[in-house]
Amino acid sequence: MSGKPPPRDPARRAVVTGMGAITPIGNDAETFWRNLADGVSGVAPISAYDASNEEVRIAAQIKGFEPRDYIDFKAARRMSRFSQIAVAAARQAIEGSGLEIGEHNRDDVAVVMNTGGGGMVDVAEGQETYLQKGPARVSPFMVPMLSPSMAACQISIQNGTRGPVITSVAACASGVQAYVEAQRLIEHGDVDVVITGGTESAIMPVAFAALANMGALSKRNDEPEKASRPFDAGRDGFVFGEAAGVMVIESVEHAEARGAQIIAEVAGGALTGDAFHISAPEPSGYGAALAMQRAVRDAHLEPEEVDYIAAHGTSTPLNDATESKAIRSAFGAHADRLAVSSNKSMIGHTLGAAGSMSALAAVMAIRDGCLPPTINYETPDPACDLDYVPNSSRAADVRVAIINGFGFGGQNAVAVFKRYNG
Amino acid sequence: VTRRAVVTGLGVVSPVGIGADETWSALVAGRSGIADITLFDTSGYDVRIAGEVKGFDATQYMDARDVRRHDRNTHFAVAATGEALRHAGLLDGDRHVVDADPDQFGMVFGTGIGGIGIMSDGIKTLLERGPGRVSPFLLPNMLPDSASGQVAIEFGLRGPNMAVVSACATGGHAIGEAMEAIVRGQADLMLGAGTEAVIVPLAFAGFQQMKALGTPIDPDTGAYDPAIASRPFDATRNGFVVAEGSAVLVLEELEHAKARGATPIAEVIGYGSSADAFHMAAPADRGEGSQRAMRAALARAGIGPEEVDYINAHGTSTPLNDRYETMAIKEVFGDHARQLKVSSTKSMTGHAMGAAGAIETFACVKVVETGCIPPTINYRHPDPECDLDYVPNESRAADVRVALSNSMGLGGHNSTVIVRRLEA
Repeated sequence: MSGKPPPRDPARRAVVTGMGAITPIGNDAETFWRNLADGVSGVAPISAYDASNEEVRIAAQIKGFEPRDYIDFKAARRMSRFSQIAVAAARQAIEGSGLEIGEHNRDDVAVVMNTGGGGMVDVAEGQETYLQKGPARVSPFMVPMLSPSMAACQISIQNGTRGPVITSVAACASGVQAYVEAQRLIEHGDVDVVITGGTESAIMPVAFAALANMGALSKRNDEPEKASRPFDAGRDGFVFGEAAGVMVIESVEHAEARGAQIIAEVAGGALTGDAFHISAPEPSGYGAALAMQRAVRDAHLEPEEVDYIAAHGTSTPLNDATESKAIRSAFGAHADRLAVSSNKSMIGHTLGAAGSMSALAAVMAIRDGCLPPTINYETPDPACDLDYVPNSSRAADVRVAIINGFGFGGQNAVAVFKRYNG
Repeated sequence: VTRRAVVTGLGVVSPVGIGADETWSALVAGRSGIADITLFDTSGYDVRIAGEVKGFDATQYMDARDVRRHDRNTHFAVAATGEALRHAGLLDGDRHVVDADPDQFGMVFGTGIGGIGIMSDGIKTLLERGPGRVSPFLLPNMLPDSASGQVAIEFGLRGPNMAVVSACATGGHAIGEAMEAIVRGQADLMLGAGTEAVIVPLAFAGFQQMKALGTPIDPDTGAYDPAIASRPFDATRNGFVVAEGSAVLVLEELEHAKARGATPIAEVIGYGSSADAFHMAAPADRGEGSQRAMRAALARAGIGPEEVDYINAHGTSTPLNDRYETMAIKEVFGDHARQLKVSSTKSMTGHAMGAAGAIETFACVKVVETGCIPPTINYRHPDPECDLDYVPNESRAADVRVALSNSMGLGGHNSTVIVRRLEA
């Protein structure tokens, strides 16, 4: 694994041609991006259930999402919310890309749709029914609905795609892994098109109780919009959120043959493991730095060519300091010339969807020459000493952007996006 | 130079035995691992049998504190991995990995559901005792990737790490993706593995309500017999039996294995993946999606259908699966289907969901290594629509060069893995 990866077939480069999103700050990709660039927070008091007596009462919830706008009523009823939002975002991405899926190409379209927990909500509902009413009242749809792979399956079923359907789970790194996998499927000629992204929806009491008891969540209940403050010295944990982000990614030759508009290129990626602890990052940031270095090398780029990092930046004391250290160790002196920001300052941490949010931010930053900010950055932390694009967006020529995702258990994933130059 | 992925280590925890040798000798002997459920009180349930892993003491494999915090699926994963690494000669006495660069050693460790046991316990705690009593370890340890994370931590493996999820097709996807990672040069060593522990009250209620489970009644005598419940391809089959377990294959780049003097057991040469795009729970007509997965795996392996000698079938023992899988095999293999030996080891292990494809690829590796094919047990009544050679009831010696493992999952996932005897 030392030295350059083998040269790439230019025709099999992977490019982005469509985007979709259901998020706490907008239910399509363009609205999401506009609000991200404007520094709008999607964090608010929890409305999904009565949290008034709980230790943590704030979340980044999706607002005004109507499954029926995207999915037949009966099918929607048998789909968990994490699948519904994924199907909706996929539909937007496919429509935006102008891709027609039919007999001529359905075997060559793959779905890679990742998640952290899948249908945790269905497990909770099922368990409540089971405890109160007994096993015979548990829904026959519970098992298929809760399966983490079901968002991918439903995208395949709803759109009639028959290539590989893959779900991989790497906790908070899941979303980033999807793009790494998609790029490889295209590069190696397995398929021509991949519908890919991440989804998560688990705004439910047991998840909040468990995360709060881990000490992972911000308790700034009285100032919801200020609660997620990555890299700020006053950060006290992450805000849990829900979202789905999807892209249509295809080979250059396929995109060009059908005259599709190419938005950016997925240039490469890498995965590594910390082999350290179930929830804490390894303190030197070795695994995270290794993933960034390998991803850049996999993309046939030099570290100095990276302009922007969509950071994992969760707003926990440990992650943000370790990630800053890892960026320094991966990029050396260039770390001071890089722009780094965390969209989690606005949409919270959407676990398995987080990487898909950063992917959208990276692609839009390249497309529009605009760096989205890290909001709520008020007090510098000596352990976090990079340029975090504080509080307001900034115009910049972004040629190469990388996205970081680091998961519970020490799974690190980094994907590289770059401007498409033909 | 093409990189080749060979198998250098095996580890298994299954309903028919703890350990690869135990499991293999049970499969060859045609021993069923299906019995009455002991893991929870089944009063109130219609179906009370499963393929449980018996006599498993997690504290033999993990620190007692970690055992308490983790789900049973993670316990299985750690136990099977330890065995596989030791078998591969990669573990020293202190459970440290030797003879390998940990940055070049990763895994694709799949599961169908992950920690549903600790998740349903957590919800019970929440409902009965309030949020303050929910374990802080619940969330990281219930996620489907907690086994892959904990295995990496236990053994210090720092290379590419993924947990694939595709319901009952998971195991095949995990081994296939691990093979691809080696061939593509992402790592020199990868675990291809699956794990599952779903014999918990809530999940079992869900399975029961799907009305897809086999019953422990002898179709001829009417006698109660858990071991008869899984009877793939038999005309009287009426459903699958839920099981649990884990299997781990150590995949290694051939030159890497040679350089450290390891003995390759077999080569993983093909992998295919497809979707039905049809229905959440039922397979597509005539196993159309599975046909495409088998064809893709043959193409990836660069071999013709006539080179395959043995198929370890998905063979769940549901009426529809076994009929469609038979049709799919006949479509893909044509006249050669008559020469093929096809067996379902689920007749003995039951259906271990996300671990099934890994346990069955393990069986394929043993078949090409030993030249012995494990049988489909409980096969008494031929079904006119299932008319292949299912190696009924008794294992059979055969010269098997190439073996193929099929897996199909809820949601319409299909995965196929092909292994070949190692030839100089």
